Amino acid sequence: MDIIESKTWVEWIITIAKFGFCFVPVLYILLLIPMERRGAGFMQDRQGPNRSYIKIPFFGKLRVFGYVQNMCDGTKLFFKEMFAPAGVNKVLYYVAPAIPFAIVFLSPCVIPWFGPMVFEWGGQTVRIAGSIVDSDVGVLLLFGFSSLSAYGAVLAGWASKSKYSFLGALRTSSMTISYEVCLGLSMMGVLLLAGSFNLTDIVTWQENHVWGIVAQPVAFFCFLIASIAETGRAPFDVAEGEPELVAGYHTEYGAMQFGLFYMGEYSHICINSFLIATLFLGGYSVPFVTTETMQAHMGGALAILCGVLAFLALAFLHMIYRYSRKLAASKQSNKLEILQEYKLYKIVAWLAAVVFIALGVCAWLFYNPANFIVNGIAVGSLATAVGTALIHLLVLVVKSIMFCWVWIWVRWTLPRFRYDHVMHLGWKIILNIALINLVVTAVIAKLVGGN
Amino acid sequence: MRVIKQKPMTWGERLYIFEALRGLFTTIKHAARGLFRYETLPTISYPEGQPEVRNTYRAKHRLMLRPDGTPRCVACGMCAAACPAHCIFIEATASDDPRIEKKVKRFDIDHLTCVFCGLCVEACPVDALRMDTKEIVFEHRTRDEFVATLETLTAWNPKDYPDDEQSQVAPGGTKNAEARKVWGMEVK
Repeated sequence: MDIIESKTWVEWIITIAKFGFCFVPVLYILLLIPMERRGAGFMQDRQGPNRSYIKIPFFGKLRVFGYVQNMCDGTKLFFKEMFAPAGVNKVLYYVAPAIPFAIVFLSPCVIPWFGPMVFEWGGQTVRIAGSIVDSDVGVLLLFGFSSLSAYGAVLAGWASKSKYSFLGALRTSSMTISYEVCLGLSMMGVLLLAGSFNLTDIVTWQENHVWGIVAQPVAFFCFLIASIAETGRAPFDVAEGEPELVAGYHTEYGAMQFGLFYMGEYSHICINSFLIATLFLGGYSVPFVTTETMQAHMGGALAILCGVLAFLALAFLHMIYRYSRKLAASKQSNKLEILQEYKLYKIVAWLAAVVFIALGVCAWLFYNPANFIVNGIAVGSLATAVGTALIHLLVLVVKSIMFCWVWIWVRWTLPRFRYDHVMHLGWKIILNIALINLVVTAVIAKLVGGN
Repeated sequence: MRVIKQKPMTWGERLYIFEALRGLFTTIKHAARGLFRYETLPTISYPEGQPEVRNTYRAKHRLMLRPDGTPRCVACGMCAAACPAHCIFIEATASDDPRIEKKVKRFDIDHLTCVFCGLCVEACPVDALRMDTKEIVFEHRTRDEFVATLETLTAWNPKDYPDDEQSQVAPGGTKNAEARKVWGMEVK
């Protein structure tokens, strides 16, 4: 009972609601797969998958820009038979795909999703951390989790009793080990400057000084390359190199077991891009504006946020109108049903734009924390704290999506390295650059900061 | 024999990172084109959007007609002789026209065997066979339907060839009949 009474009910609600952030990487999978497929299509001057649709009675076909394709794929993977080849180690074979996917729910625990919420409630100041677990060894915990996912690959490779899987697993484990070292060392510079392993402290330091990418550009580069390699994506996907190893450690897997590996890989990308955004791009902090300034002008900040969203809606509308015009002039025989679908998007986007503009104007004119009183309790500071958290969260999401795009972008641009080249790059180049960067940073920090 | 010597990579190229960035710039340009200028993509959403077929494209065959509507073909068999796939089958019969020795009784092209090389068109001495229909889709239920007979080969619409003057005078023209009358021949 003491534990329950040690916090007010508002605090408890927010603390428990924060566990919802565990599902962010899984939601990112839904975003990343269409982004990858259509992005890849556009980079290769194709259209990408856009044909599958949902038929809605009395309306027509809903293609949602090719998004339906992923639902179809997911459904297909989900309902396929789970099949194990003869002679596999049944227990390990079935457990292995779950490991990388289970890690996905653990890793987001230490990422600060918003700045610490500080507000007055019932006459006392309440402080709620932005991460689910506000640990002083946050980064180390995260690295521990993400290296655990290598177990999934190793077990899968060993259990499926296939030489391709086994070689793929060997390559994955050696890659993970080598690039974890580079990852850790290149990150040390930022940790040194911030003086803490706590991710919230690192973001606070960046907010008060400069972003990590400005203070540690070399480290940023090494970290980016190492984390692309650690997720095992192209150009570092030697572990599942098709010409040599069929598909690497998940050669023998099909159906949803393969789906779990696939989703684990995408979530790994998501976690790593959140980590890069947190370590090097100021995490949740808004560029050029400190949290205090934002909280002092909460109404204006919310108005600007609504303005940005309204601009996005209007830009989307512009693209839809433009393409509708081009489509109407073309000879495509199904243009009427596509235009019918676009009509729906136009309505939604116009509604969104109007709502965002109205909300922005309201926030600009009428937002005043002193007026917020519910049942005689002043909730103004809570409202400000929640608004700040919302803006922080959106900023972090935008930054991480940017890095997710880098993953996709790099994958569809650069050709795969040979295995020995990957090891050479990892151990002889990136590791040395990271070490030198660490030493130089330490010397300069000692001379300038004097601590 | 010409030997092409590869230029050794410069210092910047050997570093790889700058060339990689250049590649990234190229791909982002293409991605932006797909996103903001979707209709300029070179791909076609095929069954709904049809590709433009050039005049010189070797598509399904057609048989040209004389102004009175009979096929120009004189059943010489040169197209069948030229055909590398042996897909043209011709049977000849005596022509009604005394100026012409033979006329065609059966003219089959098996489009399942045809390789669309266009040699039959080149071989034809009277310009009876052409491949300018621009029909690129062949879909039928049975194998027999893929064999184009004399009827299908001559059943084309002059309106589909507005630029070709020779296609406009046929079918059902009267010029040949008039000429025969002038020469005192029997008009059928």
